[in-house]
Amino acid sequence: MDDRTHAWLRPLVAVFVGAVFFLPLYLVLVNVFKPGSQIVPHPAGLPVPPTLDNVSAVLSRPDHLFTFGLINSIAVTALSITILTVLSAMLGHYLARSRHVLAKVVMVTLLCGLMIPVPVILEPITGVLKALGLMTSLQGLILVNVGYYVPFGVLLFMGFVRTVPLELEEAAELDGAGKLRVFWQVVFPLLRPASASVLIFLGVWIWNDFLTPLIILGPDSGTTVTVGVYRAIGQHQSDFGAVFAFMFLATLPILVFYLALQKNFVKGLTGGAVKG
Amino acid sequence: MTATQHGPRGEVVPAAPRPSHAPARRASRIGPRLGRFGLFALPGLLAYVVFVLIPIGMTGYYSFTNRNPFNPPTKWVGLRNYGELFGDQEFRQALLNTVIITVIVTLLANVGGLLIAMLLDRPTKLYVALRGIFFTPVVLSAVVISVIWQAVLTDDGLLNSLLRGLGVERPPGWLSDPDLALYSIAWILTWQMLGFCVVVYLAGLQGVPRELQEAAAIDGAGRLARFRSVTWPMLAPALTINTVMLLITGFKAYDQIQVITNGGPGTGTTSTMAFQIVQTAFTGNHIGYSSAMAAVMLALVATVSVIVLRLLQRREVTQ
Repeated sequence: MDDRTHAWLRPLVAVFVGAVFFLPLYLVLVNVFKPGSQIVPHPAGLPVPPTLDNVSAVLSRPDHLFTFGLINSIAVTALSITILTVLSAMLGHYLARSRHVLAKVVMVTLLCGLMIPVPVILEPITGVLKALGLMTSLQGLILVNVGYYVPFGVLLFMGFVRTVPLELEEAAELDGAGKLRVFWQVVFPLLRPASASVLIFLGVWIWNDFLTPLIILGPDSGTTVTVGVYRAIGQHQSDFGAVFAFMFLATLPILVFYLALQKNFVKGLTGGAVKG
Repeated sequence: MTATQHGPRGEVVPAAPRPSHAPARRASRIGPRLGRFGLFALPGLLAYVVFVLIPIGMTGYYSFTNRNPFNPPTKWVGLRNYGELFGDQEFRQALLNTVIITVIVTLLANVGGLLIAMLLDRPTKLYVALRGIFFTPVVLSAVVISVIWQAVLTDDGLLNSLLRGLGVERPPGWLSDPDLALYSIAWILTWQMLGFCVVVYLAGLQGVPRELQEAAAIDGAGRLARFRSVTWPMLAPALTINTVMLLITGFKAYDQIQVITNGGPGTGTTSTMAFQIVQTAFTGNHIGYSSAMAAVMLALVATVSVIVLRLLQRREVTQ
């Protein structure tokens, strides 16, 4: 098969495969803007004329499942990733610069944490949170996120710190800047690409987390939007319009966040994929 | 650093026969070092210890007890939980299901991802847009993806309506047939992870030097031979990343089962290790028993990770 003789084949196959792959997402998108009576008889048809009934029904739910969930998700995700970026940048910097044996031990211990599945530690975590009086609280969920995802942040930052010349820090210290000031004013700004990767990876993961908020926030208090999707399908399984609109609104914020930082995401993802 | 001391001309001298002013100097050096540790390392480390390391220790300890918060007192039962696990049909099924899902996802998403990456390895706008389409599910929550696919695969769902329209009289029960449901779950996971593999392989493909390809072509190598001897070896790091990521995803599969099948149809036909642990712990309240399952799962994850990483990295080094 030569490149030139079949030049027309590649775009054709690519578009076809892409269309088949995209079909499930297309079905959600068109049915969000369709009245319920149209969804079952014409699931794949375009929404003409489009309606915002499904969307406004989700926004004005009497139990506020979506609106409260959205506020909780934004609070938990924003606070978790901010704390995580700061703490793992400092810890990653410390570990990359320290030549003490203990730093090696700490590093290996953290790396082991990368592969621990949540269910393995979830029940004891609820025990720890109860002992701290933080069970079913957003603060508790944020702290658990910080502890669970800190190894990932450290891994990314440690690799990046090594690209920052040590002389820069030494020069700032000679000029009389304290350790903290050197870090904040000299090192941290240079780590911006790593910070962006950490923010976007962990932002997407934490926003999409299901099991952890499901158990930690519990059934009574407000939950996150992702858990809200699960609650919403339990209530009206057959009302596709309502469920799809809920999912659409629950996904929109993280999709916008992702698109805004997309370049860094793919860079972070593929950083290790190319040799050299 | 603490056991030895540098002498005036830079030579290393034992720490014990130290000049009289040394203790004060050492104290003044350890002070800031501790301060630096406390300031930079401790906060992140503390969260990790409290919410990961201590819980792991507790899981390990509970696994040797009959702990059940609604049925005290908690007693030490030694290895009884582990003994019971061996004869537990449901756990064996969950273990097998987890392995099946993991193998399918790892193979299918790797192969599919590589093929699609090669298809899209062109710099024009069309292909860049298509990459975005394949990557979208990676950013979506597994809960959302599960609901979408449930709407597609359920008995009267969109796929079966389509099949009926095409004249299939009794289309399969993708999620209701006990023999099929597990494979449908594996497919949903694959569909979500495919875009991840595509992007990683594309980055790998773009790292293959054109001159190498051209040189091989001039030497008379066909397409297949060029792929095998030039492209494929250069993709080793991408293969490592994808395989590790897919193994982790398959091993901890939980959300799809909780949202779509709840372990069914029937008993445990789609139950995974993660699902079995959560059910036993939070629905059954058998914390002792669920902790033993968790310990087994952790041991398996650790073993597989180490073996796979070793194997794949050896390949990266030798080729």
